[in-house]
Amino acid sequence: MSAVGRVARAAVRRRRVQTAVIGVVVAVSTGTIVLALGLLVSASGPFQRAHAQQNGAHLVVAYDTTRVPGEQLAATSTSPGVEASAGPFGQVTLDTAKSVAARAGSLTTVGRADPGGAVDRLDVWAGRWATAPGEIVLNLPRGAGDLVPLGSRIEIPGKPVLTVVGFAYSVSASADAWVTPAQLTALRPTTAQVLYRFTHASTAAEVDAGLTAVTAGLPARSVLGEQSYLTVEERLNSDVGPYVPFLVPFGILGLAVAVLIVANVVSGAVVSGFRDIGVLKSLGFTPNQVMAVYLLMVLVPAGLGCVVGTIGGNLVAKPVLADAFSAFGAGEAGIDAWVDVVALVGLPLVVVLAALVSALRARRLPATAAISAGSGPRFGRALAVQRRLAGTRLPRSVSLGLGVPFARPARSALTLAAIVLGVMTVTLSIGVTLSVSAYNNAMRPAHQDRVEFLAGLPDRLTLPAGLPGPRPAPALGDAGDEAMLRALPGSVRVAASATRTVHLLGSQENPSVTFSRGDWAALGPQIVAGRWAARAGEAAAPSRFLNQRGLALGDTIMVELGGNRTQLTLVGVTLTNNDQAIYADWSTLDGLAPGTRAETYDVQLAPGADRTTLVNAVHARDPGLEAAPPRDGTSSQAVLLVSSASVLTLVLAIVAALGVFNTVVLNAHERRRDLGMLKAIGMTPRQVTVMMVTSMGVLGVAGGLLGLPLGFFVHRLVGPAMLRAAQSDVFGFVIDVYRAPMLVALGLAGVVIAVLGALVPAGRAARLPIATVLHNE
Amino acid sequence: MTSDESRANPVVQLTAVRKEYSDSVALDGVSLGIRAGEAVAVMGPSGSGKSTLLNMVAGLDRPTSGSVVVNGEDLGKLSETGLALFRRRRIGMIFQFFNLLDDLPALDNVALAAQLTGTSAAQARARALELLDELGIAGRRNVYPAQLSGGERQRVAVARALMNRPALLLADEPTGALDSRSGEQVMDLLLDLNQIGQTLLLVTHDERLAKQCATRVIQVVDGRIAATAGLERSS
Repeated sequence: MSAVGRVARAAVRRRRVQTAVIGVVVAVSTGTIVLALGLLVSASGPFQRAHAQQNGAHLVVAYDTTRVPGEQLAATSTSPGVEASAGPFGQVTLDTAKSVAARAGSLTTVGRADPGGAVDRLDVWAGRWATAPGEIVLNLPRGAGDLVPLGSRIEIPGKPVLTVVGFAYSVSASADAWVTPAQLTALRPTTAQVLYRFTHASTAAEVDAGLTAVTAGLPARSVLGEQSYLTVEERLNSDVGPYVPFLVPFGILGLAVAVLIVANVVSGAVVSGFRDIGVLKSLGFTPNQVMAVYLLMVLVPAGLGCVVGTIGGNLVAKPVLADAFSAFGAGEAGIDAWVDVVALVGLPLVVVLAALVSALRARRLPATAAISAGSGPRFGRALAVQRRLAGTRLPRSVSLGLGVPFARPARSALTLAAIVLGVMTVTLSIGVTLSVSAYNNAMRPAHQDRVEFLAGLPDRLTLPAGLPGPRPAPALGDAGDEAMLRALPGSVRVAASATRTVHLLGSQENPSVTFSRGDWAALGPQIVAGRWAARAGEAAAPSRFLNQRGLALGDTIMVELGGNRTQLTLVGVTLTNNDQAIYADWSTLDGLAPGTRAETYDVQLAPGADRTTLVNAVHARDPGLEAAPPRDGTSSQAVLLVSSASVLTLVLAIVAALGVFNTVVLNAHERRRDLGMLKAIGMTPRQVTVMMVTSMGVLGVAGGLLGLPLGFFVHRLVGPAMLRAAQSDVFGFVIDVYRAPMLVALGLAGVVIAVLGALVPAGRAARLPIATVLHNE
Repeated sequence: MTSDESRANPVVQLTAVRKEYSDSVALDGVSLGIRAGEAVAVMGPSGSGKSTLLNMVAGLDRPTSGSVVVNGEDLGKLSETGLALFRRRRIGMIFQFFNLLDDLPALDNVALAAQLTGTSAAQARARALELLDELGIAGRRNVYPAQLSGGERQRVAVARALMNRPALLLADEPTGALDSRSGEQVMDLLLDLNQIGQTLLLVTHDERLAKQCATRVIQVVDGRIAATAGLERSS
């Protein structure tokens, strides 16, 4: 081994703590960078990524098979501009209104032999693909299988019974369900779908051109409908949109903290080795050999840290990304290979650059100057500060500690920057958590004082073993049930409602309308603008519904239900976030579908009334009313946002604390002679600890004072951006979430990061063996 | 306790002190008593155990076996904090390389020792100025260590050691880093201190220092006390 290698190896062995710190800091920083870059990349185009992953269709076209034969449809795949195609697949619409799958609505069902193919490669994420008649696979994003559990039997009058054998996901939204081609034929389809990928499809005009090309020469009215991937993208992006403004600042913060800390740790390691550099020079090492020693010394642990961090970052990022982007079916999504390459190459590059900056300084220094580096006289502001502090009434250990950061201003500045970013992250994360909670509580209030009764489940219903129900049909009529509920002791308010899917005339849309009566104004969603729809022909809708359609209060819409039409005037904005759900008075339903009975009764309990007693009383009077379990107010999106924020905050706070840890290790190393002397003249271990912790505490206070307003400011940008991305109005109660006591506590986050990072090395400094230190120095 | 009784009771009492390191024995069954007002010089070749002996008395290190009692306190029974408080109140230390804080001017270096005990900055500075004045360097009170001569630095270190009126002044090669003129000044200073009653234990290679300042010289060889001799101080 060369002299350089030997000396570098010895340096690594001798500086075990510093080597370990470099390794750990680089590992955590690399992990953070992998996570941060992964988030940034995923957030920048989640739909495109998922679409590319599944080789998604640019266009799905439904054809009328009574007008165009299958051979002619198959020939469309050779039209100009078609890159790949799949189908034709038979297609039928199953009306599940009277089955266990009622909540899934009507199912556009397609016959496909397998989930693969040239276009629209489906992600079968639970169960298996349908291989025999009587089997059906539902199109659901990952984790959404609780709607219709595996094993459920869908019984539709006049159709074969279908058992749910799997869940798959199509980012192209090509169907709601799939069965085998043989089964589909048995369902007597009159429609077939063909899925196309075009060579050029980046704009709506190009997709339209593709449609023109594939339908050229087909008989008139043979196209029943078509769906561009751009339409699907817009819809999905509005669901996942809130993540993007949230993840981007976290990603940037993660990158900044990681690079800062690595630069601080590495340059500190080299600076603290200046004395040894002088000794090496005096032994005859050339300046380049000296530099090589120090680069090797930091690159060995940094290289190891990089590898460990990259692996760790991938392991942490995968579930976070999968959760965040499950709406795209990105179950298999992970970190792009180039992100790993950037981390594996980029971090060592940062390490080398940071080491070089300091090592070049050492290279230029004469041997004698390098030997005495750090121990010579210091002048300027640092001394003036120390002198002023010496005259204060503060305990001496505290005043000495307060002066420490001024001795190494560059190192202190880097440490301060890391704390500032740490406090920013914590402030932003808490703000996002509070905003998400405020939004979630408003949109999905979990009322403990309410019971929801369902007026029985449809006939011919078979649930898989282990699931509750079915209950018998209601014994009382609609009016009888409502009157009975009002008369029960413990019931103070009752609202009855029924939800129907209507057709929005002038569009292809089928939103749902909840028609209500009774105490709905008190028990229904909150109104944020206008008033409740209290009369026939009036409706209230969420801002998302209005925004997506360019509607405003006072505008009218025409809806159709069962062949009957009515005009609705929009009179109120509800605090709900389902862009496909609006609200109207029961009198409107009487006009559209006379005789409809309520499906749901919401009962508000009197204060102190017992839920179980009320439920038992209702079952005794009408066994057909099923009490729904208390609503879980949390949405999966809210849980994901909050848990992602927590993970990221924890990681970044740990990285910032590691920066503090390293600074204290370096300060203690450089000041071990002073520490030994202070202990020799009577400084107690506790005083040493106080001194070292104070030295970082002052940076923590400064970091808190700077990081808090920055985090607050970023939250003011991120919060509204998240709401706008969700196509919602920006509500003040979602943005103004910080309260004065909380701001004080958040301001202390810097102190917490600083103290936590400083405690261990400060304790170590307090235990320095005085005799050894003074003897060696 | 009368002055005579005080002189009769030893300020330092080492009994069968043994100190082992992983691969060597630094002290081997050392017993030693130092009475109040004595000036004891410990001499011996490098590695003989002189500094280890001093560290034991200062409570900077603990013996492997045996006991060290200083000013009535059994150091073996004190915690790390107890030892720090003991050093703060009972011991003054002078080092070969001064060990001053580079960031503080002379006055604040001296005042530091009192401020650690909770004395206010103003009071500590007043007492420090008094000491610097007595040692003839009050005019250099606002000068930083790096700008002081070796002799001046050691005077500042002596002032710091005396700040809390210690029962015992320990000096480890106090003239080892000084030129001969500065060395003599420090010798005179230590002699003066001893003559006004300050008990002194110094470790030195310098025979002249021992003869001038000490009333007793102890020779340590291979971790054992090889010889003890009372001295008539040279003038």
